[in-house]
Amino acid sequence: MSDQTDQRNAPPATSSERTVARLVNATKRFGAGDAAVTALNDATIEFRKGEFTAVMGPSGSGKSTLMYCQSGLDRLTSGHAYIGDVDVSTLSDQELSVMRRSTLGFIFQSFHLVPALTSRENITLPVDLNADAEVDEAFLNELAVVLGIEHRLENLPSQLSGGQRQRVAVARAMIPRPEVIFADEPTGALDSKTSGELLAYLRTAVDDLGQTIVMVTHDAVAASHCDRVVYVQDGVLVDEGRNPTVDDVLGKIRELS
Amino acid sequence: MIRRTLKLAWFKRNRYALTVVAIALSVAFIVSTLLLTTSISDVGEPLRSAYDNVDVVVTGPEVAGGDGPVQAISAPVPEAVVADLTRAGQMAVGFADPYAQVLTAEGQAGGQDQAAANVAEPWLGGSPLNGFAIVEGATPETVGEAVLDVSTANAASLDVGSTINFVTDLGVQEATLVGLATFGGADNDPYTSTILLSPEHQIFGSGDGFQRVLVADASVADVAAMAPGMEIQSGSDWVQSQQDALNDFLGFFSTFLTVFAVVAVVVGMVIVTNTFTVSLSQRTQELALLRLVGTTRRQLLSQVVLEAVLLGAVGTGIGLLLGLAGVSVLGWFLDVLGLVIERSSETSPTALAIGVIVGLGVTVVASVRPAWKSTEVAPIEALRSSEVDLVDGGGRRRFMTAATLAIGLASLAWGIAQSDILFTGVAIGAIFLALYLGADSLVRVAARMTRPILGRAGPTGTIASRNLEKNAGRTAAAASALMIGIALIGFFTLMAATIGQFIAGDAGEALETDLVVQGIGSQPEPALSDAVLEQIVGVDGVDVLVPLYQTSVSPAGDVEFERAGPGGGSGLGVALTDVEALDAAYTFVLNAGSLDDVGGSSVVIDQATADGFTLSVGDSLTVTSLAGPVDLGIAAIIETSLPGSPQPAIIGDLTLRAALGYGDPATAAYIVGPALASEVNDAIDLPTVEVVSRTDYIDGLSSNLDTILALVYALLAVAVLVALIGIANTVSLAISERVGEIAATRAAGASSRQIFWSLLAEFGLLAIVGIVSGLVFAWIAAASLFNALSGGQIGTPEVDVLTALLIVAAGLGGALIASWFPARSAATTDILDVLRAD
Ligand SMILES: Nc1ncnc2c1ncn2[C@@H]1O[C@H](COP(=O)(O)OP(=O)(O)O)[C@@H](O)[C@H]1O
Ligand SMILES: [Mg+2]
Repeated sequence: MSDQTDQRNAPPATSSERTVARLVNATKRFGAGDAAVTALNDATIEFRKGEFTAVMGPSGSGKSTLMYCQSGLDRLTSGHAYIGDVDVSTLSDQELSVMRRSTLGFIFQSFHLVPALTSRENITLPVDLNADAEVDEAFLNELAVVLGIEHRLENLPSQLSGGQRQRVAVARAMIPRPEVIFADEPTGALDSKTSGELLAYLRTAVDDLGQTIVMVTHDAVAASHCDRVVYVQDGVLVDEGRNPTVDDVLGKIRELS
Repeated sequence: MIRRTLKLAWFKRNRYALTVVAIALSVAFIVSTLLLTTSISDVGEPLRSAYDNVDVVVTGPEVAGGDGPVQAISAPVPEAVVADLTRAGQMAVGFADPYAQVLTAEGQAGGQDQAAANVAEPWLGGSPLNGFAIVEGATPETVGEAVLDVSTANAASLDVGSTINFVTDLGVQEATLVGLATFGGADNDPYTSTILLSPEHQIFGSGDGFQRVLVADASVADVAAMAPGMEIQSGSDWVQSQQDALNDFLGFFSTFLTVFAVVAVVVGMVIVTNTFTVSLSQRTQELALLRLVGTTRRQLLSQVVLEAVLLGAVGTGIGLLLGLAGVSVLGWFLDVLGLVIERSSETSPTALAIGVIVGLGVTVVASVRPAWKSTEVAPIEALRSSEVDLVDGGGRRRFMTAATLAIGLASLAWGIAQSDILFTGVAIGAIFLALYLGADSLVRVAARMTRPILGRAGPTGTIASRNLEKNAGRTAAAASALMIGIALIGFFTLMAATIGQFIAGDAGEALETDLVVQGIGSQPEPALSDAVLEQIVGVDGVDVLVPLYQTSVSPAGDVEFERAGPGGGSGLGVALTDVEALDAAYTFVLNAGSLDDVGGSSVVIDQATADGFTLSVGDSLTVTSLAGPVDLGIAAIIETSLPGSPQPAIIGDLTLRAALGYGDPATAAYIVGPALASEVNDAIDLPTVEVVSRTDYIDGLSSNLDTILALVYALLAVAVLVALIGIANTVSLAISERVGEIAATRAAGASSRQIFWSLLAEFGLLAIVGIVSGLVFAWIAAASLFNALSGGQIGTPEVDVLTALLIVAAGLGGALIASWFPARSAATTDILDVLRAD
């Protein structure tokens, strides 16, 4: 027990106070032999507290793989993925589940709400899954008002528009006050107006609540809302920049391709 | 995307595998029961062959009919009849069928089939009236030689050349087994164990007359003229009547098996329909796409039906093989249970053909409606929503449910009030239909009622409850299938308990004797000779011996009364005993009169008989006995009669034996006193008689019933198994449509354990709805049916809470096991497979 705990809690060499998630020499391969694909190739990266990071790159470059491995949804072939000081590869399914419901938040392109549950129940799902946790009703109401879904809380997902569904998903990701939210193409299924509102809200969450967000996207406009942008190509982290403008990002992409 | 498709295909394979298993089990069940029933009906063949040369059969006039379990009795044919016929130049032989029970090589009784008659017959040599033919060894030429039928010799492990012992009314006899014989080409005379002896053997010299006289080369009219007052039949008519009698007995059994086969098919059909409904709802898009590119509804329909035919063919093929194996299993089961059912080993092609028709038919019929409904969906509609519910939900179904329920309850009320069998039958059918149609509503109600409890387990509990409610329309079929199986189990359990009450009477409380003496391995032949009774009296510690003689009479004149329960029928069972001594062994609940007045032709009757004939103490009842009509005076009326099947309607004193013309030995005896069962057994030293303690005797009263119940349970287990496959099927289908939801819940932090338990809760609840409604239905059906059948004489059956809980636990356990693997595989599925599909 103590061995394992020690290993998990051992401060990684380059970690700083502000690091909430980290990949160290992370490699992920799919398949074997000729058909093998290296989706992530020896990537090392840190995500810092209170920072809104965009992971940019063309389709198939390994963005989602990076996010899945970082968040413990998938396992690395080699290297380490840390959430805080914990190496996610050492966690059991049960521990990963607990981590997902309390330390992490997820937003997906296609919402992934639970059809049997109302908006309210979908939002409180991660908290309710903890037998001993109480939903912070004030925070829930605040989230609902800010996201503009306060009148849709008793509706089922099938009764909501795409934008509303995604805002429910955002609220669900926010409600446990997670250390970090991982968003995989959160605006991919939304029109540009709805996308803009959502991105503005995510920006507010970072600025006002100090929320850490890692957002995978291939959209330069989305990336321009972020504090930091990292570029991925063929599974390798090729570059990064701070406070990007849309033009910065478009230029960089042209340069890389 | 590819992985997801493969994943869904995996679920689909699973679904079809289970459907094939359900079809195969249904087919196997119907084929094996049909094979068994067709092989059973073949016993007439040896009879026909053995009686080939018999032109006329003479029997005595019937005293008590055998239309119920009351033993049929005919007066004997006087020996003078045979003498007269022989003198007139006819070839005639009389058979007295004296009791002779062969002991096994180890000296045990019961080597033969329990229900077989054990008789000795004279060896007729080359006479055309001889139905037996020697197949091994020689004929019995002297008094010390014997031949056995092949079955008896095999069952008792006796070889030609060995010395055999057999018990008769004259005591234990010894003979050398010189040969084995077949009867009409079969291993034995149906339902009879025969020992063939030289006609000189003293067992044939009782002079009491014959059970039947066979005459060759004669006409019915000629014989009738020479044997006035006797029943004269042609040989073929007699064979037919024997066969009919056997078929009556077996008909019940065949009907019984057929009912279960039909149940298995119905349950199978419910499940196959369910599978097609769900699988086609999930494929609405695919079908709509085909419609969009110009496929006609007819083409689409034939595509789906073709799929059903393929599925049905695979299931039926497996089912036929299983059925062929199953018939041996059933047969083995019958043997183990000691249920003597003679069967041939031939395989009836008709049974196999029916199996094929049922297997393919059920699958196709089950697929047509959902297929037709799925093609009804407008192509564009199907492209919009991923899934269209093909189940008849909503108004029309609810109206039908309410209507059938109303009809059911109304006829139930009428049926109970009037004890009317027709209305009760309609009520049972309608209530069943209402339960079937309304199963989805029941599931919804159960889901809503348990939501607070499930909700306490967190959001996964809420999700389970909501999904159960939402999908009730299609998952309810699984609950219905389980309901059918459980309803039958419950019904037969209640029926057995009620019949057990009838057979055992109030023996549990009223029997005060210490020991009971009874015959073994021989029914209905008597077992306790006077010599044996004397031996028992001589044992130290036997204070009182109460011998019981059992016979039957029939009420004289036109009497409509039939006793309720298994002792029913037009005959009346009679127990003759030392009534004064019986007082020490049995405490009756006396409703009227006094036992002191019983004696001579004054008898005791039970309340059911008194009610049936509207008799009071002091009245008299005229019955037909072996000695002709006898007037019996009613001296006392007791609440419940002595135990037995049938329970005797009349209990008389020993002095009545002669008046009723009854000369056979006692069939049982009660012993009061401190003697041990083993001591009495040693003193008698007769393997055909056993002495048991009071408790063993009471337990044994229901053992035949337990045996039959065990068979019923075994048969129903198949139906329940098919129903559980339905549950497993439903679970995997439901899960296959829910991979997205499960992944989303997992991504939000639900552990696989939480998902697993919520799925189990959902389908456990579904099963409980089926189980509970099955039990409730069983109780309603049993209570109303017994009431109607007994003309209101049987009250509501008592519910044994423990048994009910056991059935619930077993059904629920089975359902949980059936849900276990699909639920576990869904709970542990890699969530990325689904999330990546974006
Ligand atoms: N489950 C998988 N099996 C095989 N290859 C995969 C799997 N998931 C992703 N890949 C491959 O890994 C590479 C990176 O994929 P992904 O991370 O999804 O890219 P992005 O999100 O940047 O579009 C791609 O070449 C993709 O085909
Ligand atoms: Mg991606």
